[in-house]
Amino acid sequence: MAVMTVREAINRTLHDEMERDPNIFVLGEDVAGGAGTEGGQEAIGGIWGTTEGLIGKFGPKRVIDTPISESAIIGAAAGAALAGKRPVAELMFADFIGVCADQLINQIAKFRYMFGGNTSCPVVVRLIYGAGMNAAAQHSQAFYNLLTAVPGLKVALPTTPADAKGLLTEALRGDDPVMFFEHKALYSRKGEVPDGDHRVPFGHARMVREGGDVTIVALGRMVSFAEKAVDGLAAEGIGCDVIDPRTTSPLDEEAILDSVEQTGRLVVVDESPPRCSMAADIVAIVTEKAFSCLKAPPRMVTAPHTPIPFSRELERAWLPSPERIAKAVQETLRWG
Amino acid sequence: MQLSRENLLAAYRRMATIRQFEERLHEEIKTGEIPGFTHLYCGQEAAAVGVCSHLDDADMIVSTHRGHGHCIAKGCDVIAMMKEIYGKRDGLCKGRGGSMHIADISIGMLGANGIVGAGAPQAVGAAIASSQDGPDERGRLKVAIAFSGDGACNQGTTFEAMNMAVVLQVPAIFVFENNHYSEHTGYRYAVGTGGDIASRAEAFGMKVWRADGCDFFATQAAMAELLDHVRSGGGPAAIELDTERFYGHFEGDPQRYRGPGEIDRIRATRDAIAIFRDRALPAGLVTAGELDAIDVEVSALIDQAVVEARSAPKSQPEDVLEDVYAEY
Amino acid sequence: MGLTVMTLKAFTMPKWGIEMVEGTVAEWMVREGEPFARGTVLALIETDKITNEVEAEADGCFVRLTARQGDTLPVGALLAVLGKPGTPATEVNAFVASFRPVDASMPGAEHAADTQLSPPPSAPAELAAPSPAPAIPEGIAISPVARAAAKAVGFDVEPLTGSGRKGRITAQDVDLALLEHRSSALKGPIDLPGQEAAFASPLARRLAVMHDIDLSRVDGTGMRGRIRKDDVVALVGPPVPKPAAFAPISTAGPGSVDVQPMSAIRRTIATRLTEAKQTIPHFYLRRRVRMDRLLALRAAQGKPGSINDYIVRATALALRIVPECNIQVHGADIHRFASADIALAVATSRGLMTPILVRADALDVPAIAKASAQLAERARDGKMAPHEYQGGSFTISNLGMFGVDQFDAIINPPQGAILAVGAVRTEPIVDNGALRMLDMVHLSMSCDHRAIDGADGARFLDALARIIEAADQL
Repeated sequence: MAVMTVREAINRTLHDEMERDPNIFVLGEDVAGGAGTEGGQEAIGGIWGTTEGLIGKFGPKRVIDTPISESAIIGAAAGAALAGKRPVAELMFADFIGVCADQLINQIAKFRYMFGGNTSCPVVVRLIYGAGMNAAAQHSQAFYNLLTAVPGLKVALPTTPADAKGLLTEALRGDDPVMFFEHKALYSRKGEVPDGDHRVPFGHARMVREGGDVTIVALGRMVSFAEKAVDGLAAEGIGCDVIDPRTTSPLDEEAILDSVEQTGRLVVVDESPPRCSMAADIVAIVTEKAFSCLKAPPRMVTAPHTPIPFSRELERAWLPSPERIAKAVQETLRWG
Repeated sequence: MQLSRENLLAAYRRMATIRQFEERLHEEIKTGEIPGFTHLYCGQEAAAVGVCSHLDDADMIVSTHRGHGHCIAKGCDVIAMMKEIYGKRDGLCKGRGGSMHIADISIGMLGANGIVGAGAPQAVGAAIASSQDGPDERGRLKVAIAFSGDGACNQGTTFEAMNMAVVLQVPAIFVFENNHYSEHTGYRYAVGTGGDIASRAEAFGMKVWRADGCDFFATQAAMAELLDHVRSGGGPAAIELDTERFYGHFEGDPQRYRGPGEIDRIRATRDAIAIFRDRALPAGLVTAGELDAIDVEVSALIDQAVVEARSAPKSQPEDVLEDVYAEY
Repeated sequence: MGLTVMTLKAFTMPKWGIEMVEGTVAEWMVREGEPFARGTVLALIETDKITNEVEAEADGCFVRLTARQGDTLPVGALLAVLGKPGTPATEVNAFVASFRPVDASMPGAEHAADTQLSPPPSAPAELAAPSPAPAIPEGIAISPVARAAAKAVGFDVEPLTGSGRKGRITAQDVDLALLEHRSSALKGPIDLPGQEAAFASPLARRLAVMHDIDLSRVDGTGMRGRIRKDDVVALVGPPVPKPAAFAPISTAGPGSVDVQPMSAIRRTIATRLTEAKQTIPHFYLRRRVRMDRLLALRAAQGKPGSINDYIVRATALALRIVPECNIQVHGADIHRFASADIALAVATSRGLMTPILVRADALDVPAIAKASAQLAERARDGKMAPHEYQGGSFTISNLGMFGVDQFDAIINPPQGAILAVGAVRTEPIVDNGALRMLDMVHLSMSCDHRAIDGADGARFLDALARIIEAADQL
């Protein structure tokens, strides 16, 4: 066991896995930084620091700084995977799905199926997402819902350093394309990480709290917001189950349904606008499969149906908060 | 590079197979038995075969929506292809891909693609893989070829791919088959340089070639030079092949964009099969009898393919759910 | 020697009966190459039902035995090759190699495990009396709450297909399965034989089917006379079990059969009396009563009423003495009445009707006679108003005029008791130690033991008997 940040966990996992498997390589914008400059190799090690030290160890053939060409980056990852490699492509901001969507949605997601199962496309795309740093509308979106909706892709969003290592390792060992969402505001979060081979299977949620009165499902950074809300509610004698799905495709339906079957009350927290969000998806699944167990209508705690605003006050108002989560919990309890 | 007799006959066989496969599909599609969109390659045989005759299974190609010719040229099983086009369960892609998504990764055919321009970056990725693997025992790099048309050459993905290939100096080859029409629009209009595609690739920083894409020998010779350059680590390259397509953009296209008598003219003057014969026979390398015999054998093969495809078992509803993931 | 055409024939596994799919060669009874005569037993073949001998249908010889003793082979499979002794082995080999068994499979066999007993229908356990809870087998994917719920009511989850991922059973799946057998009337398209023409809302139709109400007899209060849900609901009585429908033992009966669906009145009688018989704890008190003085009185008075009219009066007087039998039972309440409203059972062409003689205890025999005659007539004509036949605290049913000696009647709810009167007969009776022949009548009183105890019933019957036998108050 060692204590480290999410950033470090990702970095170390990349180091370990690239060492273990020579077919793994990294590509993206500034994953090393400094290509073609006087300052030279590794001017930054990735703008989030997650790919630091890789080029020194593995060389420019396996740590590739690309021009700013999202379609080409992701497309190249697709082609390299078909050719037998295991690329890890970085999308510097998840919002850039808009630039390269075809390669993700129509190509990578569909090769295995369209080609009759004769091939795999083991691409890992690391997308950096999330609001809370005033990066504004085009650099803050949490698009895991868009990619969860595409059959053929897997989607992971770890919230702890241990899960970052476990899920990234699992992604790199599997043969399916994985969209690996890293929250920019969680990089500095510290936690214990098991040594050695640590894998977290996809489709297995983490039970963060157990309480039995209300089920809270929270995504990404919202998990820690939910924890804060729940700790406050405990003082009022309200106990909540808090579930961190960790992956949205596949989704651990069993954990969510088992909890709702006990509590009968559901609150889902998602830092996205509500329409066609993961929150809406989870509410639909629970309503369809556990309606007879519900004692109150499920509640979604989401952002409003707007782009993400820039200023501190506005972004704070846009994001869900522990107070709004607690309020939603109490509202579900009012249904007797 | 002088081609051996065997190679010539093999090349002719491939071209004849493409021609007859596509002509036969043109007829069969009218019966309504074949589902979906089909885009026929008739007329461009010299381009596919001229390029692929140099390749082995380790070399990789990425194709377009008009991919039957590239599949056959790269060595895909003709009968399995026909079954796939008919949507049968034991087609090359188990009936799940169809005409626009035929693939056989095991022989380096990384798929036909329904998205115009999508293949170029994928070829760059395959070329990255090749450069990571390094040269083989003969000192040659595997190459990755992206087939594009005069339409795809305008997509952003194509430009990005060309730039990235040059930046990373990988063995990617961009083959632009200019058949003069991107869907229903002429190339002189759509390609802003007045129709000159190769110059744009050159501007990105790679060596370019140009050749007559209806003449197998011209294409083959140009590709020989190009491949030498790329395989020896000279970086990416591009070739613009001027060719014709005899049929519409898709089967069912009324082709109102053609000039009067145009199709007759190009069939008469730019028929790759006829041009092959015109070039090969006088040189005495092969006889007409040998070529005719190949035509007959190919005809039988295509007949067999259609018969088998028609009678092959249909897909079953439960097939829908398979092969979405390796493991879910 | 010239070439002779050797005809080889296949000897295959026979099919005995339509169910046989395979057999075992238990024993060969002849040897390869050995000629046999017609009628010889060639082999013993065993199926799961019998072991049978296979006899030769003609003289012959097996040039090759292909099946070995103990081999189990499907019907139609090659067992041996019939032919002339001395046939070259190559020919026999060729024959064996080219043999193709006929398709002896049963169509649809691929869909069913034909050799197994079909499993019993998987009905959920009766909620009223749960059968012993079947253990939920290990390895079934099921949520903890679903497991606990199923166990609690003894519900077998094995046949369920869960709606969770990969067929996992959820709590809601168990809830739904338990609900299903209750609301079957509302599932699927509504079959309304003969009622399609009714101008009614879809909900009203469904309720009509559910509660067995004939829409053609319902007046609609909706727009333009459309039948609404409330119109149907108003006709729905308290939930009563449907009369059991007994499946006929055979559908072919002697001659033709005339099927008559029950009329509304018949159905009402059926449901009410079924409910009475099933829910009221009846007990019966029987007594023979002397009628000689009553008959003499009646004759002396000039027969102002029927015998039954006198019995009505006697009953009304007896109810004053034992008011515990003059009651209605309503759930956990007993309603006692000051006066005796006695219902009379009247047979009509439409069915049994029970018009009520209100305050019978205040009427003398002529008045009773008049009122009861009027009520009977109105009953037969179908002209009674509801208040004339609903209610009452006691019923008298008299089948004496039909020659019935004695019978036990079914209580007419919500009443507490009913008196069944038989025919007046001259019977031997011991009176003061001497054997006499007197006019007697058999009375049988059915009582609702929830509200009337044996002693009260007996006291009433005793009072009634005394009044009848004395006859002086009548």
